[in-house]
Order: sequence, then C-alpha cells, then structure tokens
Amino acid sequence: MPGLPLDGVRVIDLTWIIAGPTATRFLADFGADVIKVEHEQAVDPIRLGRPIVGDAPTLNNSGFFNYINRNKRSILLNVRHPFGMDLLRRLIAVSDVVIENFSAGTLASWELDYPEMRAINERIIYCSISGFGHTGRDRDHTTWGPTAQALGGLTLTSGLPGKPPAGWGYSYMDHTAGYSAVIAILAALHHRARTGEGQHVDLSQVEAATVLNGPAVLDGTVNGRSWRREGLPPGNRAWEPAVAPHNTYPCLGEDRWIAVAATSEPEWEALVRAMDDPAWARDERFGSNAARLADQDALDERIAAWTSQRDDYELMALLQASGVPASVCQKPGDRVERDPQLASRDWWRTLPHPELGETRHDGVAPRLSATPGTLRRAAPCIGEHTREILADALNLTEAEIDEYAEAGVFM
Amino acid sequence: MSGPLEGLRVVEICGELGQYAGKLLADLGADVVKVEPPEGSEARRVGPFVNDEPGPNRSLNFWYHNTNKRSAVLDLEGSERDRELARALIARADVFLESLPPGRPAALGLDYDTLAATNPGLIHCALTPFGQDGPWAGYRVTDMVALAAGGPMNMNGYDPTDAPGAPPIHGKGDQAFNTAAHYAAMGILTALVARDATGEGQYIDCSMHEALSSTTEVGLPHWLYTGTNIIRQTGRHAATIRTEPWLHRARDGRDVLVFNIGRSNESWGKLKRWMQSHGFGANFDEARFDDPMNRMAARGTPEAKEIFEEVSRFITALDAEDVYRGAQACGLPWGAVRSPDEAVDDPHLHDRGHFVATTGEGVEGGALMPGAPYVLNATPWELRRPAPRLGEHTDEVLAGLRGPTPG
Repeated sequence: MPGLPLDGVRVIDLTWIIAGPTATRFLADFGADVIKVEHEQAVDPIRLGRPIVGDAPTLNNSGFFNYINRNKRSILLNVRHPFGMDLLRRLIAVSDVVIENFSAGTLASWELDYPEMRAINERIIYCSISGFGHTGRDRDHTTWGPTAQALGGLTLTSGLPGKPPAGWGYSYMDHTAGYSAVIAILAALHHRARTGEGQHVDLSQVEAATVLNGPAVLDGTVNGRSWRREGLPPGNRAWEPAVAPHNTYPCLGEDRWIAVAATSEPEWEALVRAMDDPAWARDERFGSNAARLADQDALDERIAAWTSQRDDYELMALLQASGVPASVCQKPGDRVERDPQLASRDWWRTLPHPELGETRHDGVAPRLSATPGTLRRAAPCIGEHTREILADALNLTEAEIDEYAEAGVFM
Repeated sequence: MSGPLEGLRVVEICGELGQYAGKLLADLGADVVKVEPPEGSEARRVGPFVNDEPGPNRSLNFWYHNTNKRSAVLDLEGSERDRELARALIARADVFLESLPPGRPAALGLDYDTLAATNPGLIHCALTPFGQDGPWAGYRVTDMVALAAGGPMNMNGYDPTDAPGAPPIHGKGDQAFNTAAHYAAMGILTALVARDATGEGQYIDCSMHEALSSTTEVGLPHWLYTGTNIIRQTGRHAATIRTEPWLHRARDGRDVLVFNIGRSNESWGKLKRWMQSHGFGANFDEARFDDPMNRMAARGTPEAKEIFEEVSRFITALDAEDVYRGAQACGLPWGAVRSPDEAVDDPHLHDRGHFVATTGEGVEGGALMPGAPYVLNATPWELRRPAPRLGEHTDEVLAGLRGPTPG
C-alpha cells in the first residue's frame, strides 16, 4: 500500500459552501488530515443542499455535501464559547494549514487574523478565500461564484450573439477558486519545507476569475478591442484560433448534441470523407478555412442536416476514427452510465455512508503513480469525529473531553 | 523576496494544452524552460495578434500563457542530437511537464522510465485530453470538444423563452485547458510536497477529461442520487426545475446579475430604502413584505413576483456598475456582467496591484494584463519577464548543460 503524498499535513478547515470545501476535498483525497470545524448554530448550508435522500434534511443526508466532503473528519466546536475558541487555537497550534472562505474580516473579528495565528503557530499557512481579497477598497464586497464569474468576464464571454449571456450554469469559480487555493497552499508548503517559513495566502475569487481570460484582456489593452461588440460572443463558433467548422450540431433524440471542429485542412478533409464526400463540400465556397469562416451559416446548416439523422455516440466514434475532433455534449447521466473512457479507467467508485448507504463518487485526478490519491471514507456526519480528533491531535483524555461536553463546547 | 518555487527547474513541452500549467509554476518562481520546435509552439499561431499581424512573437495568447518562461528551440521530431539535449535538460530538472499524445514521449526517448533511470527525483506530468489509456486515449479535442465530453458545456445554455432549441454553450477563454492546467499544477505540487519528505519523484497521468468531469458542481450529485439530468437556464445555475431569472438589463444596456433578493431582513431593509430613494418600491413598506418566506422567489408568492418585477424596473433606471455598487452596499452579492477588458478599470483591483504591464514585439510602453491569482505575502507572485521570443534562450539553456549534472 503506497503512502499518501500529503500524509502528515493537518488542515484546519473552517470553510463552507463550495469554494473552500473544493480545495480541502483535493487536499483530503491526497492524504491531508482535513478537520472540518462545524457549529450547529451555523451549519454548512450544503448539509441542507439538494439532492437530499429522504423526506427532510437531517444534516447528514445531502448527496451534494457527500460529494464535496469525502475523506474529511468533522469536529463540532462552538467557537463562541471561550473553551471552544481555546480548543480551536490549540488545534491551530498543532496544524500546518488553516483555510477559510468567510467574508473578509470575519476571522479578524474572532481575533484570529494572520498575525494572531502566527503568534500561535509560526509555521502556519493561512489561506483565506474571499470575494475580493483582504485588502483594497472593496474588500467588504461579497460574492457567490456567479458574481465572480460576472465581474471577471466569464459570464459575458459565454453565449449566443444577440442574446443575453448564457454564462456558466454552475459556480465554475467556486471550483476554480478552490483549485487556485490548493496551488498556493502546496507552493507555500514547499517553501516552508525549505525555509521553515509560513505565510498568508490571500485569495480573491474575482482575481482568480480575471486571470482566466488573459488574451481577451490583452486584446483590449493592446488592440483596443472589447468583447462588447457585434458578433461576440460567437456562440459555439470559434473565437481564436478562428476555424470553421466549429460548432455544436443536433443529433437524433431530444436535446442531443455533438461538438465538432476542424482545426486544419486535413481535419476538414477527414470530416468531408466521414460525411461520405457530399457534393456541397466540394463547392469553392467551402474550399478553404477563410472561405468556410465567411460562410458559416451555410456550412453549419449542411453539417447539421447530416448530424441530425444520426446517433450522437455513433457519430463521435465515426468522426474520431476519421481524425476529426468531436464529442457528444455529455450530460451527467451520460458520463456515469455511457462514457466508455471513464468506465475503462475505473473512474466511478463507491463509499459506504451511514445515512446514504453505498454512495457513488468520482475518482481522484490527477493520477500519481507512486502516491495516488484515494477514497477512504464518505463525508463525515456532523461532529462524527469530535472525540477522536481531540484525543489524537491534542491528546485529551476521555474525562477532559467529557468536561468540555458538559460545558457546552461541542454544539 | 521571491516566489515559493524559486530554484525549481521545469522543462515544458506543451502547446495550447499545458502552457497555462507551466505559467502557474513559472509565475510562482520556477525556472521553466519551454522547449519549442523550430517553427515555434502552436500557441504562437493563435490569435489575437498585436495589431492583427501574425508572427511568432506577436500572439497575445502566447504572451499571456508563457510569462516568466525561457524558450529553447530543439527539433525533437527531426534530430537525435536535439532529443539527446532534451534528455540532458530533463536529467537536470525537477519537473517535466508535457502534453504530447500518449505514446509520443516513448517514441522520442522521453518516457518516464528512461528519464527516471538517471533522475529518480523527477516529477513527470503527462497532461493529455483523456489520459494515457482507454478507448478515447487517442481522440482529438479542441477546448470546446473537451468541455463537451467532460460535462461543463452541458451545464451552460438558455431558457427556451430566450433561445428556443439552443444547444449547450461553449464558455470562451480556453476554460478546458485552464481547468486541465489547474489539475496538472495541483498534481505536480502534490508530488513535490511528497518529494520534499521522501526525495522520490513520480509519474503523473493527468487527464483533462477527468479534471473536467470533476468540475460540474451539482450536475453529478443530482444524477447519482436522484437519476435526474439538470436543465440549462439563461445566465444562471442549471437545475432540476426552472428557477427565477438572474440577469436584468440596466439602463446602459449592460446586464446585471441579481439574486438572493430579500433573503435576509437586513439586506431587504437596505435594498428597500435604496430603491425607494430612487422612487421605486413605494409599497414595499406593507407588512406582507416583512416575512422572508413571502419574499422567497422559489415559493412563487405574489410578493416575490411583485418584488422581482419592481427590481427589474428599478435596474432599468440605473447603469450596471451603479447597480453592482449599490447592491453591494446593501450586502447583496450582485455583480455587473463585465467584458474581460472592463475589469481593468476596477479601482479595487488596482489597489491590489492585480493588473501588471507586459511588453513584446510591437508594444513598447507596456500593456496591462491580469497578474496574480493569489497573494502570497511572504513569497509573492511576480512578473519577472514577459513571454520569451522564439528561441530567445536556446544558447543560454544549452550553455547551462555544459557544467556537471547537479546531484
């Protein structure tokens, strides 16, 4: 049994909702001891988040919570109680990372800003994820994922021309803020391994979004062109590199689509052959990429007429076998039930959960050969590991833990 | 002060896929040598270009994704001598990041077994569209095709009332490549932290498809627990049932993201006073609006409908940025829907020094682009040099091979 790469890294996880828990899911998958600090008077709203199994939320029966909190442990700690705050500070003293995604200023109001944390544990890596970061004039503004997507330019750049933005149909920036936090935390751990020095990672969700559209920003600052102009966003047609065809086409069945692109003349030739060499494709108006770009409406109409009579997965296999980039626009159910690639790489896993039964999870990416990430336990029930954590991290005795319990610390 | 990865030696062989992973490492202080073919990385041919004039050193896509790297030209396909030089370079590296098709590294003598034989501490990350094995391992992708396969694309789209029969939408900005790069960087740094403890390197099989399939939020849980595929909606979360719209058009024709109206009494009180100061929502003082349950859009109450319609009218009287700032003052997480270049004007981002000036062929004075995705207070993100010209550092990099191999 190979070791886990982050074995020995203890993380005090004060995060909730999605962005922070996404970061700690990755760290936990790779072996960090992620201790999710919870409070019954302010539970992680995702504990109540759909899909729920059963008639009513129990705090432990959310499938979504289970999906993003596997491999973690949960401690109930009332930090408004002086003993609870004392235990939190003692946990920080024996940990490597503290991570939170409250609004800027919340931890400072707990008297736990970075200088204070550093006084408790000089080596601590403190990562705050907030909408706008902990400095700057708008640091008190708040975001949800979609807010960062809107302000950072991701919403406007997704859509059909002449329509309102389609945007992103989920909090892409919650995932991505989480990934950015992981990168910063791991880099800080490497720096600490060499120098002994900890630090504060101040992550702004809006900044983690603006960096995802660098070329579009440069087109503005170099060429003076905004994305707010006629014809943009271009729907599923290409922006850069400008190639045609590049679009989604309907297939047999309801709401079935295939994405197809020809990025070079050989790929266009391969597409033409896959379509059985129709006469229209030999017309001069489609004879070069420039010509096809100029006449995309006619081009897309003809390709759509061909795809709409065909099964999407059969088309994908045919086009890929011919050397054309193409994929079914897979729905969640397609990925789980039909995607042969994920199945052949043993992607879907199960973990037992006391209230949800055998639960299915996606695997761990990326795949490390010597120290792969693993799925070891489903998401914790609220407070499931309170006693265990206090015993193994702080060496508290049963009697001491009982005293704290009686004082109302674990609620 | 210097970055947390200062001293880390990285060799990168990547085109559009993977170049952002190399940038993430380089911007944190790593010395990333980008090995390019004589004609240059494919990203050098991706626009937009400076003044729309193509040229190997004029691609803004390349400029952005290759900051802080050095460029060395080696003809890996055509020259055994150059392949040998690449092996020598990787023998002295900590990290080898490549996005070659599966099997191609072995054909070039750049496979992990060969490389690790002389450099056991090496972390070799192979970033590919679908991973090293499986029936789709040889499939071709573009950013859009990868997002279609991995699932993110199916989350984005329209209400039938806005665009009947609309397909899933490809959000632009190379987000499939970006997510894949995040996973590659996370994997490399995880392996690096492990190596700090053990001294041992390893191979990483990073599949863009698996990265994307891990990045669709509630999409999978709804299927896994209820067997339901969610439906796409205009400018807001895909869901199992159709929900209240989030986008409203402001006076200046720009859209505003509006949600969580009336969720808390505190923000409701502030929103009400703000609207009333502009002559809207006069009847919101009626007692029936005081109950948060009555204000919840999901419950379909007449009050929620009235609030929604009045807020929509109110927004048409203001500019988008003013709606954003006014709502934030009420504690509401609304946002203006900005074009990427419009964020450059945000004073808060300037306070934080977020945008940095870069230079290159045709741009002497410096042009702003997004900088640090994270602020590390002890080891800050830094733009040390702009993206390299093609082959700018070939001689310097090869000269570095003449000394003894570090132990």
